[in-house]
Amino acid sequence: MKKGSNLDVLTRGVLKENPALVLILGTCPTLATTKTVDGAFGMGIAAMLVLICSNVFISLLRNIIPDTMRIPCYIVIIAGFVTIVKLLVQAYMPDLYTTLGVYLDLITVNCIILGRAEMFAGKNPVVKSALDGVGMGIGFTIALTMMAVIREVLGNATFAGTPIPFLQNYKISFLSQAPGGLLVYGLLIALVYIVTKGKAPLKKSFSCAGCPNAAHCHTACTEKGDEA
Amino acid sequence: MFKTLIIILLSSVLVDNYVLSRFLGICPFLGVSKKLDQATGMGIAVTAVMLIASAVTWPIQYWVLNPLEMGYMQNIVFILVIAALVQMLELLLKKFSPSLHKGLGVYLPLITTNCAVLGVTIQNIIDDYTFLESMVSALGVGLGFLLAMVLFSGVRSRIDESNIPAPFRGLPVTLIAASFLSLAFMGFGGIVENIFA
Amino acid sequence: MDVLIAFLVVGAIALVLGILLALICHFFATPDDATQVKIRACLPGINCGACGYKGCDDYAAALAQGGVKPNLCIPGAQAVADEIGAILGVEAEPFEDKVAFVACNGHCEATRKKADYEGVPNCKGAAMLYGGPGTCTYGCLGLGDCANACPAEAICMIDGIARVDTSRCLGCGLCATICPKKIIQMVPQETAVVVMCSSKDKGADARKACQNACIGCKKCEKTCPHGAITVVDNLAVIDYSKCTGCGACADCCPTGCLKKVVFPNLPEGVDAEDLINTQFEVPHGEE
Repeated sequence: MKKGSNLDVLTRGVLKENPALVLILGTCPTLATTKTVDGAFGMGIAAMLVLICSNVFISLLRNIIPDTMRIPCYIVIIAGFVTIVKLLVQAYMPDLYTTLGVYLDLITVNCIILGRAEMFAGKNPVVKSALDGVGMGIGFTIALTMMAVIREVLGNATFAGTPIPFLQNYKISFLSQAPGGLLVYGLLIALVYIVTKGKAPLKKSFSCAGCPNAAHCHTACTEKGDEA
Repeated sequence: MFKTLIIILLSSVLVDNYVLSRFLGICPFLGVSKKLDQATGMGIAVTAVMLIASAVTWPIQYWVLNPLEMGYMQNIVFILVIAALVQMLELLLKKFSPSLHKGLGVYLPLITTNCAVLGVTIQNIIDDYTFLESMVSALGVGLGFLLAMVLFSGVRSRIDESNIPAPFRGLPVTLIAASFLSLAFMGFGGIVENIFA
Repeated sequence: MDVLIAFLVVGAIALVLGILLALICHFFATPDDATQVKIRACLPGINCGACGYKGCDDYAAALAQGGVKPNLCIPGAQAVADEIGAILGVEAEPFEDKVAFVACNGHCEATRKKADYEGVPNCKGAAMLYGGPGTCTYGCLGLGDCANACPAEAICMIDGIARVDTSRCLGCGLCATICPKKIIQMVPQETAVVVMCSSKDKGADARKACQNACIGCKKCEKTCPHGAITVVDNLAVIDYSKCTGCGACADCCPTGCLKKVVFPNLPEGVDAEDLINTQFEVPHGEE
């Protein structure tokens, strides 16, 4: 596959640069909404919609937005699309709306969306940005659903709300609670490392690559005074 | 009245710790917790911004957005306000307290897109808190964040000195350690309901 | 109509915030010190800390306030010192290039292991356990803490000990700080002779532990025509202010721990920052 071709851009987000498992972006929804398969899938789709729309919009405006003001502009654009998606979910999927609660609003500050805006959509043409949004969105949804399946099946002995009969007496209930989320996520990232034999661009420590604040953060993390 | 405030404070610091049980603000929790002084600096900065942001967004919601029936614009308005506030805070700190700016200033730009700050302002509205309750809840969430950061920076420094199997090095082991810390915080569940019983 | 109200309200809020920000910016802004900004622009910006300040910003601030020598930036070397000197209107003192040098030649042929170490895979951990797994307790542990610390990837592990590619070395001294055995020294670029050993054991013990050790025989001390070498604690120490680089000591050293060297400079036209971003081609020993 040619690097940079449309197909490459599309598939990159699904596997090679999976936002949740390889780039380690959007940790917050990955952990918080994967208690149930329904919630995780819904969150994935909602984030994907916002991602595609914001990518397209930012890509369209990339030559108009001044460089110094780009982050505030991006945030406002993203917040707008989040509001739209939120209202849609509220109107057509009230159950999902209650499940996701405040996390739906928090898509606004999800690093995946801002990160892709900064790393990709701000520099690439519209079609590619849209494909990138689709790819990243699918990758994110798959990762979330995968985590939710593990957590819901083992933790609650249900799959998307349907009870699994033979597992009823073997619930590991802590998996579906907060600590289980962190544990499963950690194990999944380690698994990705084993499967790819460390070839994936897995960051040594927490990845800030996609974070628009990386520049500030870097200075915060690498102050030398206390080391010497 | 006083009782409610205590309950809100305790539950947001311990039981519903934003980082460990709601996963809000997990990015800085994992990113800036490598050293104790950085963890404290970030924690204090976040607490301050949360308090100020709650103090400003509450009136906006109840005096501007609700009367105009524009609750749905909450998200956009809040993020705008928070971003501007952080910027102002940085400028003012730089002017009036350069030493404080040196200590906390580096963390301020990180806070704009911190989901815990937006999260707490929105949650205050969802929970129908009064102004005072919102402030207490913001304080509690901030302190909870600070507590988690400080505790975890201690754990992190031990992890760095340990022999960890290759696949788990870096983020995975950090997440698993955070999971145990979160498990410990689950032990506080039920404490708040029964404290005045 | 609703849409219009929403539009107006959000617009108004944004406008109020914008005006507030602009006002604060106008009335309260502390103008960044112009010289500081200029100086900061000359500095390489890799925050290595070799100047003794908390990164480039801090050094720039200190310079702008005055009373600080402009030649402390080691990665930037003479060029940066000159630039800063020009901005501050002072003559920059000549800059002394330094390179990292590992004072140990105990590679796997020369020394042995007294134990197999399977603990935490870094020097810090190994050093804590009986001073490391090697027979020589002074020597390089070869686990690469220095290589990991090096911002320019100038250090790699070859035959069990750290080697510095001095053509890449920025002279920041991070490796010297991190080495638990403190065997990495920052020496002047013009150095002609080095002592490749840090062992303070008595001659026989040192030799037993490592073939390449300094045995403290004092032959060099006697041979040196300029009195630049003294043996302190069974280890030859060179006073570089007296050393002329004649190499007489290296010729007479029975174990070969005194060596004549030429440290290559950073290649002409290579920027310190470029070096950091390029990949190192020599594979790291630890993998």
